[in-house]
Amino acid sequence: MRLLFPLVLLCGYVSAHQFIPTYPELRQSYMPGLYQAEMQLFNSRKEIEYYSVDVFDGSWNPIPFATEDRIRKVPYLGKATISVFIREQDKERVRYICSRSKILAGFKQSTAVDSKICSKIK
Amino acid sequence: MKKSLLFTAMFMASGLAVATVPITGNVESKCVITTDTAGIYGNPVANLLSTKVTDGGAAPIIRYDIITPNTYKAVITTPVDFSDSPELNDTLAWDGDITTSEVSDASMSAFDTNKRVYNNMTEIDLTVSGTAWFKAESSVSYGYDKAFPAGNYSSVVVAECVAL
Repeated sequence: MRLLFPLVLLCGYVSAHQFIPTYPELRQSYMPGLYQAEMQLFNSRKEIEYYSVDVFDGSWNPIPFATEDRIRKVPYLGKATISVFIREQDKERVRYICSRSKILAGFKQSTAVDSKICSKIK
Repeated sequence: MKKSLLFTAMFMASGLAVATVPITGNVESKCVITTDTAGIYGNPVANLLSTKVTDGGAAPIIRYDIITPNTYKAVITTPVDFSDSPELNDTLAWDGDITTSEVSDASMSAFDTNKRVYNNMTEIDLTVSGTAWFKAESSVSYGYDKAFPAGNYSSVVVAECVAL
């Protein structure tokens, strides 16, 4: 059993979605009035090339934010650093920063899996 | 003595150098969602599509890797609509079920007993670190014993990992 977990982790980089850190911190950005969080996305899902980024409050209401691309192309086995900018007035309301896989319209699979990972600002 | 001096001199003259190349790593709290098995709908009778093995289908299996316990919850949503299908003009009755199919730690059996089910969603607090495989069963029947029109049918299972 002890050997199984590392083995499973090694085998895991087959078709996975990873979004870190779990608890990002908002820090003052280089622009006044804007706070920034740095997120890392890793894509090892062969069938997925695009991920969307969203920001929510504690009740899952969307919060306005800025980033380079709302829908980001992250190729297979690619890593992306995503900077999320939030207005100072929304700083206390922000709870979740989420990334979600985007399945292309032409993707033909009986039951596809859409993955979503949300980090929490404490 | 002479031999060892000669060897040292030869070694120095050869210009060999030894360098150490470090490999560093960092294990941090994270949740990794892996799509292990793609799902397939079986069509055992004309008005039913089902991922159950007994119905000729295969349920999608989603793997969650958890590094730190009690930092994430898994939220898995079974479909209530087709993402792609021929034109349908009657009602669809959807059903879904999430079960733990395999675990890397025996104490993960609590995932099944402590799961919360509402609407078509299942929430599981990931209280144990390791790997858990969740099976997402889905079935849908059409109208009142009405045959599904011929064509391709696709639906989407949403697997979420939400930081606590």
